Formats: sequence, C-alpha cells, structure tokens
Amino acid sequence: MDRKTVLCGIVAGAMLCISAASALAEDVVIKVWSRADRSGPLRAGNLVTAGDTLNKMLAAAGSDKRVKIDLNETNAKGYDDDALDLLKAFAVDKGPDIFVLAHEWTGAFVEAGYALNLEDHIGKNPEFYGDIIVPLWQSVSYKGARYGVPQDSEVRMYFLNNDKLRKLGKTDKDIAALPGKVDAGEFTAYDLCDLAGQAVQKGVVKYGILHRPNAGPDFQMLMESFGVVPYDKEAAKLQASKAALKDFFTWVKYCLDKKALSATNTTMSWDAIEQASFAREEALVLFHGVWRVTDQTKAWNLKGKDDYQRKITWINAPAGKKGGKPTNLSHPIAYAVSAKSKNKDLAAYIIALASQPIPNMRHAVTTNHTPINYGGQSMPEVVEKGWALVAATPMLKYASFMPNHPKIGQYNGIIFKGIQGVETGRLTAQAAADFVVDELSNELGKDVVIKN
Amino acid sequence: MATEHAIAGGAPAARTDWQALARRTWRTRFTGQSALFAFLVVVSVPIILPYFWMVVIAFTARTGGVGSDVLWTACAVIVPAVLVYSLVHMSVAAKGLRLASGLILLAIAGTLLVALVGERLHLNNFRFLWRADFVEELRSKATSGAQFPSVWTAFFNSLALALSQTVIILTVASLAGYYISRFAFRGRNAFLQGLLVLHAFPAMTLIIPIFLMLYWIHLLDTIIGVMLVLAAIELPFYVFVMKGFFDGVPWDIEMSAMTDGATRRQAFRLIVLPQVRVGLIAVAVFAFIRAWEEYIFVRTFLIENTNWVMSLYLFWVADDVMGVDYGIVAAVAVFYVLPSLLLYVFCQKYLTQMTIGGIKG
Amino acid sequence: MSRSPSRGANHEFAMPDFARAQLRRQRINFALFLGPALVLLAVFFVAPVIIDLVLAFTDMGRTLAVGKFTLENFERMVTRDTRLLGALGITFIFVVTTLGVFNVTFALLLALVTTAVPQRLGAFFRAVWLLPRMSPSVVYALLWLWVVDPNERGLLNQIVVHVFDMPPIDLRNNHPLLVIILANGFIGASLGMLIFTSAIRSIPEHLFHAARVDGAGSLAIVRHVTLPALRWPISYMTIHQSLSLLVSFEYILLITAGGPFYDTTVFSLYAYRRAFESGEYAYGAALSLILVVIGVVAALALWRLMDMKRLLQPPRIEVH
Repeated sequence: MDRKTVLCGIVAGAMLCISAASALAEDVVIKVWSRADRSGPLRAGNLVTAGDTLNKMLAAAGSDKRVKIDLNETNAKGYDDDALDLLKAFAVDKGPDIFVLAHEWTGAFVEAGYALNLEDHIGKNPEFYGDIIVPLWQSVSYKGARYGVPQDSEVRMYFLNNDKLRKLGKTDKDIAALPGKVDAGEFTAYDLCDLAGQAVQKGVVKYGILHRPNAGPDFQMLMESFGVVPYDKEAAKLQASKAALKDFFTWVKYCLDKKALSATNTTMSWDAIEQASFAREEALVLFHGVWRVTDQTKAWNLKGKDDYQRKITWINAPAGKKGGKPTNLSHPIAYAVSAKSKNKDLAAYIIALASQPIPNMRHAVTTNHTPINYGGQSMPEVVEKGWALVAATPMLKYASFMPNHPKIGQYNGIIFKGIQGVETGRLTAQAAADFVVDELSNELGKDVVIKN
Repeated sequence: MATEHAIAGGAPAARTDWQALARRTWRTRFTGQSALFAFLVVVSVPIILPYFWMVVIAFTARTGGVGSDVLWTACAVIVPAVLVYSLVHMSVAAKGLRLASGLILLAIAGTLLVALVGERLHLNNFRFLWRADFVEELRSKATSGAQFPSVWTAFFNSLALALSQTVIILTVASLAGYYISRFAFRGRNAFLQGLLVLHAFPAMTLIIPIFLMLYWIHLLDTIIGVMLVLAAIELPFYVFVMKGFFDGVPWDIEMSAMTDGATRRQAFRLIVLPQVRVGLIAVAVFAFIRAWEEYIFVRTFLIENTNWVMSLYLFWVADDVMGVDYGIVAAVAVFYVLPSLLLYVFCQKYLTQMTIGGIKG
Repeated sequence: MSRSPSRGANHEFAMPDFARAQLRRQRINFALFLGPALVLLAVFFVAPVIIDLVLAFTDMGRTLAVGKFTLENFERMVTRDTRLLGALGITFIFVVTTLGVFNVTFALLLALVTTAVPQRLGAFFRAVWLLPRMSPSVVYALLWLWVVDPNERGLLNQIVVHVFDMPPIDLRNNHPLLVIILANGFIGASLGMLIFTSAIRSIPEHLFHAARVDGAGSLAIVRHVTLPALRWPISYMTIHQSLSLLVSFEYILLITAGGPFYDTTVFSLYAYRRAFESGEYAYGAALSLILVVIGVVAALALWRLMDMKRLLQPPRIEVH
C-alpha cells in the first residue's frame, strides 16, 4: 500500500473513532458561574462533585450520557460586583446554567428574567429538599416564590482580641461578662467605641475596629442598632429614615473622633485588613463573620475551642442606646438556575445533589459556615470540628436577613459610600445622612421611600 | 597665543588672552551643564527610584517582608558611582580615559553590590513562571479549578493581541496618512478636524455602546473584538503621525517614479513606504506597547477566564496577594514590563523622530 | 484627435476613456487608502457615538434592555444629581493644572534641557521620562500605590520618616488630587517632550550660530529662536493633551478609584462610576454625552484660538 492510501486510512479511521466516541459519550455540558472566594471553594466544588455522582449513577444505569460541569470562576472583588458582571453576561447570552449568588440579589435576577422559579421543582422533590432549615427559605424567596436553594449561612459578629483587652487592663471576668452585657443592652455601640478608642490612644493597638472595605451585609446589622431598617414590608419598597441615618452616622463620627474607626479602613485591601487583624494583631476588634475562625485558628495556631475562646470573644452588634436589643445578621449564599438554560431540570437536580448533607457539611466544616439542613447540625463532624458553628448558633436569635429587593445592591453601595465619606472625614454626620438620602432618591427613584 | 589683530575697533591690540577666555568659557559651560545635569537628575529620581525598587523587591523579597534596606544599600553604592562617572565624563575629553574610568567604577560598584546584597538575591518570586498554583500554595484554595490560568496563557494572549493590533494600525494608518498627505479631496479639512476632535470623545465611556456593538456583530468575548476596538480608538492619532512622516518625503521621488511608468499605488508601495520606515517603526512600537498594556477594554469585553491577558493577570494577582507577598507581585510586574521595556530601549531612536503632520513652521 | 466617446448614451457628456480610467482609479484609490480607516472608525467609533446618543435618551439599566425612551436622565442630571458640579470642578482643576504644569510646560522644559546637554545624556534622560508611558498602566499604578503607601513601607514615607524625621504621611487619603495630578503629569510630560525635542532638533543649526554671533545669550536664544519654531507643536500638544486629560481616567481609576469618597472623580470617571458601579448605563451615556459636548466645544475653541487651520497644508500634486 502506498503512503497516500495509508494516510487516508488513518484519517478515516480516526474520524470514525472520533464520531463513534462522540456518539457514545454524549456529554451534556452544564455551565456554572461562581465567584472565586477563598472562604468557599466548595460552593462550586460541590457542584462538580454532584456532576460526578450523577455520572456514576448514569454509568450504573447503563446510559452513555454524561454530564460535564464547566466552571467559570470569576475574580470580582465582592458578590455585588460579581452580580453586575453576571447580569451583563446574561444580557449578551453568555450566561451560565447554574450560578452562585448572594441571596439578596435574588430579586434583581428575577426581575431581569434570569432566575428560574424553583417552587415546582422543590415541591416535587421533598426527598432532596425536605430537611432544609425552614427560615432559610425566606432568604431565597421573592414575591412569594422560591427562586434559589440556600447553599450556606453564617453568623456575623465582632471578634474581640482578648490579649489586647488584657493589656488594656481588663480582667478575665470582665471579658467573660461582655457578651452578656451586650445582649442585655448594657454595653452599647458607643461603649464599644470608647473601649476601642481607649486601646488605640493607649498604644495597645493601631486600629480600634476594622470592618470590611467594601459594601456588604455587615453594615445593615450595624445600622439596625440605630433603627435604620432598609425594607418596608407593607409598601414592598426600600426605605430610609433621615433621623435614623443621622443617628447612625453620628455614631460613626463619634467612633472616628475617638480613633476607634480609622480613616483608611475603607481603602485598605482585604489582605491588609486580615494581616492587621490576624498575623500582626494590630486591631482590637474585627467586624465580620464566623467563617473567619478558620483563618484565626491558622494564624495563631489555636487548638480547639478552649484555646480559641481564651483568645477571642464574640459579641453581637451592640444596641445604639442603653436598654436596646443587640442585632445580628445572617447572609446565606444561594444556588440558582438560569431561566434561559436549555437544561433546566438537569441543572436543578445537580443543585439538589450538591445540597445534600455530606457535601454541604464538607463546605460548612472546612470554611465555618452553618449547614443548611437540620440533620447537618447534629452530624458528628459538625459537632466535633464545627464547634464554632455550634457555639455561634445561639447568636442567631437576633439575626435577620437582608431584603431581596432588586435594588438592594445599589442601596448597600450608597450606604457604604456614606460611611466612607464620614470615615475619611469628608462628610459630617448630617451631611452623610443628606448624601445617602440624596443618592437613594437619585439612583433608586421611586423604589425607595424616604421617611423623616 | 596672543595675536596682533583685535576683533573689531582696531585699536592697538590689547593682547587677547585666548587661553583665559577659553578657560572662562569652559568654566561657565561646565557650571551651566552641571546645573542642567543636576536638574535632570533631581526630576528623574522620582521615576527611576520606584522602578528600581520594584526590581529589587522582585529579586529579594521573602514572604511577608518588603524591606527597603536592600534598596538603600544598592542606591548607596550606585549613586556615588554614577556621580563620579559623570564628573569624570564631563571633565575629561579623552574617550579612552572615560571608558577606562567607567569600567573601573563598574567593577568597584559591582563587587560592592555583590558583597553587600548578593546573598539576599533569589529567584523564588519568579516561581509563577513554572507553577500555576503559586497563589494557592501561598494562601488557601479559592476555587475548585485553578484560580489563575498559567501566566504563559496570558502572555501569549497579550502577544497575539498586541501584534495583530499593531499590524492593523500600521496598515490602516499608513494608507490613510499617505492619502491625506498627497491628495486633496472634498472634506479633507473636515476629516482632519474630525480626527482631532475624535479625541474629545471619551473612549472609556463609549464602553457600553461598543459593548453592545460587539455583541451585535458577534465579536464579544473574542480577542479579535478587543483588537479592532483598540485599533479604532487609537487610529486618529496615528493617522496624524503617519501624515507627518509622509509630508516629510519630497514629492520628487514619487514624481520621478511615476514618470517612469509606475502607478500611484506602486509608487506608494515601492518608493514612498521605505522612506517612512522610521515612522512605521515608531508607530509600530507605540501601538504594540499600548496594546500590551490595555486593561479597561479587556476587562469589559472579555468574559471567559481563558481569554486573560497580562494586564488582567497582574491586576488579579496584585489584588489577591497584595501586602502578603510584595515579592510575587513585583516579580509578575517585572515580567510584564520587560517586553515593553526591551522594545522601547531598542527602538528608542526612532521614537524621538516623530513629528506632527504638516508642522514645518 | 479625441477618442471616440465611451458607450453609455445616457451620460450627459461623453468622457474620454483616459479620463474615465483616471476617475475609476481615483475612486479605487480612495477606497483602498482611506477605506479601511473610514470603515474602522465608522464601526467602532462613530457608530458607538450614535448609539451613545440614543442611549442617553433611554432607560437602559444593568440588564442592557431598553424599556422606553425618556428624558429622565437629563432631568435627573439637572435636578437631582448633587455630585455633578463637584465632578466638573474637579475636572477643571485637574485638567488645567496637569496641562499647565506638566503636559506642556514641563515637557517643554525637559525638551529644552535635554537638547542642551550632550546628545547621549539627553537621550538617556528622555528615555527615563518615557518610562512611565512605556510601562503598562497596571504596573505604573501599582508603583504609585506602593510609593504613597501610608505605612512606613511606602517609599515616600521611608524618606519622610528617616530623612526628615516626620510622621508618615498619607497622600492618598489627604491629598488625593495631588497624587493623580503627579501620576498623570509624569505620563503626560513625556509625549510633549518627544514632539518638542524632534521639533527643536529640526531647527537649522545656522540659526543658532547666527544668534550667538549676534551676541545672544542662552535664554535669549530660547526665546527668539527655539520657541517660535515650536509654535505649532505647542499648540497641537495643548489641544491634544487637554482633550486627553478631559477624557481619560484609566490611571485615576487604577490609583484612587475616584476616591476617597468622590474627591478625585473627574467627570469622565464619574460617568463610568455611575454606569458600572450601579449598572445605570443610560445615565452614564447621558453624562458622557455632556462630556462630549464640553470636549467638542473646548476643542473647537482651542482650534480657533491657536489658528490651527494654517497647520493643515494643502497637498502637493493631484495625480492618480
């Protein structure tokens, strides 16, 4: 046989093989969009595992079909930026089948027509969804229907560095009594700033309180102590009260003047804040959430609950006035299916598999988020390795969710800018309140109700 | 050497002391030049120092630290060496002596540097070149895949983008520049004025319309789309530049070619184009460097992670490990700057010959 | 002997063949030479501008869907937007200062000085000053951030603390406008320096010799020989750079992101922030429309002021 014939034969054979292989392995591709988050790699990872599980079942059933999970993990700075990018991607038909989102964006995606109504699917599959903690469903509901599946939840708090408190002269008894005082309303937000300011002025620490450097759920919890409630249930609109905002910003200014809050907080990078709070112990208080326990344990080489609690104290966000109630916030992340997907049911079932107790527990325990299933809370691993989650659960008593209004993202952004304005010294408390009200009516127009 | 004849006025010549005159001129010249030199040094230090610092960090920083002591030590050695050399250079005219003193100073400075900071140098910060998961081993995993693509993917994407964009700009700008330079057509003035005014259109805020436009012609999320957009945005400036170069080519050359029977197009291709070689190189270098650094457009128009270019790569690495590891960020930055720098250094003499179209006083 | 008229009896006049050929070549040349540029500019520059014009009158939000046509963007600009005037003010200060101090003046100074010192030394310093422009924007911004870092790590603070024995300063927070003026100025000066240098070098040597023989000192030479020759480059640079500064915000975005708060948000960045931080694309389009108008007006005014029409020499000989 001459060369040409051999070549033709090889090519034909190869093409036959390829077409046979592709005929055999009909891959269904499910695209997943997730934000690359160091505190949650398994959010996307569990979906990949779910795909593998499904493939095992398909193989066992003798089917030739396989599911391929195609991950796109973006580098957005926060969930808000990521949601905007995702909306843009959807608008140009580059949207995924499954996406991971912060729950308060549910409304925005539903209004844009990109989130699939999952009521039917959830209702028909109690075997998968029946054990999910009931209040969590509220976080993925919009106008009475469920559009997502909660992926995790957490508790947010202030982390106080006990070593620094001791240096300040507090006894162990004082420190242990603090959480109780906060819950009883005796230790207010102003007292916290006094304490933090004292620590800075005495040179014990460089930063009093460190908070997140971008917009986020934390601030809602902070503002609630001062009566700023973002959502008006009756009107089904966002709202802002001028007086409450002024109270809140007055407190921020007070803390800034006492040096409890620092002017550079809003422009620091996440990394700088972590370095300052953990490795270098330059801050008295970090305001964030329970999943930080992982980082803290690693940074200080803490072994177990007792070691940790000797080093760190948790408190809820203290009330604004004496006798008030402390506040807390829970911010679930959710899975959602794209309404434009060509494989809606398959995508939904992938999510169902990813939400099972074992995968969910893996995420919960390794990154210190609370499990979404009732059963998950009593799993041996959770009880043993997730002591932080168990310890944090009582704080959920004061917790609320953010509203799922479509424009909550912009609302949060404006609040953050106001805080930045006060902290950097550009705005007085009154000016900040005016600024927020201005921007809200500017950007949200009729979607916000401004109260006096 | 005194001379009898005075310069003007003819009175019995006071013997003009040429040597004293020469010495005085030389002194004024020396102080003048030194002052200018000092001025240049003072204004250039704020630029040189940070770049040098970045290079030093890339080669010396260990995790968690960015000590500047290496920088200052190095400066303490290099600065006096340079000053001494420049003094020697200005006061001595003989080339051989200059060269010799230069080499000696180089040797001294080199040995001192090696002795003082040699052991602090290491290549560990460049490990991103051979390990794709360098961020994850530094900190914890953030994704289920790899958080960053390999730096080489980004590098070759950048290269493809920059080279193709340069070719497009060279072709289009020289064609257009030649035509404007040689032909009067209706609306020529308006066209030129329009080109100048196009600069007033905020290219950055045209992002959303361009985004929509790319979407409608199905070029979104492609490198080709970004390439075309970049070329279009930069075009007005380069057309002006090429026009300037073409204006500088005497018409006689073309005319003689055309009387010999060449068509206009042939004259352009074979005769005129080689004459503006300098312009072509200058435009190519500028265009390449501009595309190499493009950040905002790629950020907006590329959606899938596989289409990363170097600017995005550096931005995300810096965003992620900023503060933890200045060394890695600096190393990536050095790697990223290198092609631009090399290109610029080698083609520098062409860049300084750019003029603006038609300006000949 | 004229050639026979071409076919096509419905022509008003009969064109001789060679004229027709030339006309065809003329048209082909036009398409060949100017065509690509026109197409590229039309599709990616002019068309988006038109789209932008249309967008400004819609309500396009972050879903990229056009709901209705409305004037509400402009109404909002005039009545409800309290940041607008501030942004305009900052833009004015930024453009005028950077242009006046760096892009034109300092560029001129650099060009004069680097041509007054020996050739290679001048070339070296010009190379140094081109470095910011040649290095990628992300790297340049990164360096600035490291230099003005408020901790002691920052290069500037190293000098301030160790040499001047003062507490570390936070330029980014306290004087952000200064930071962006410097950052953009370093970049801006380089282009002018290039253009002016080549213009200076093209001044015939004998003019300098003549001036010296006539007894002119260095400063006088600069005033009477160099500067007049630089009239056109200076005018062009002023227009070009003022438009550039009005419109570009890449470095500002990378270094301060328009902050802290809105302190360094120039108008172009303001439009970008409105569009991308909140997904209000129609409003951003309306804002950029205003910016375009400002830019065009400024460009035309400066054009008139500097009599740029004389710059555009008519071409030589028209042969296709």
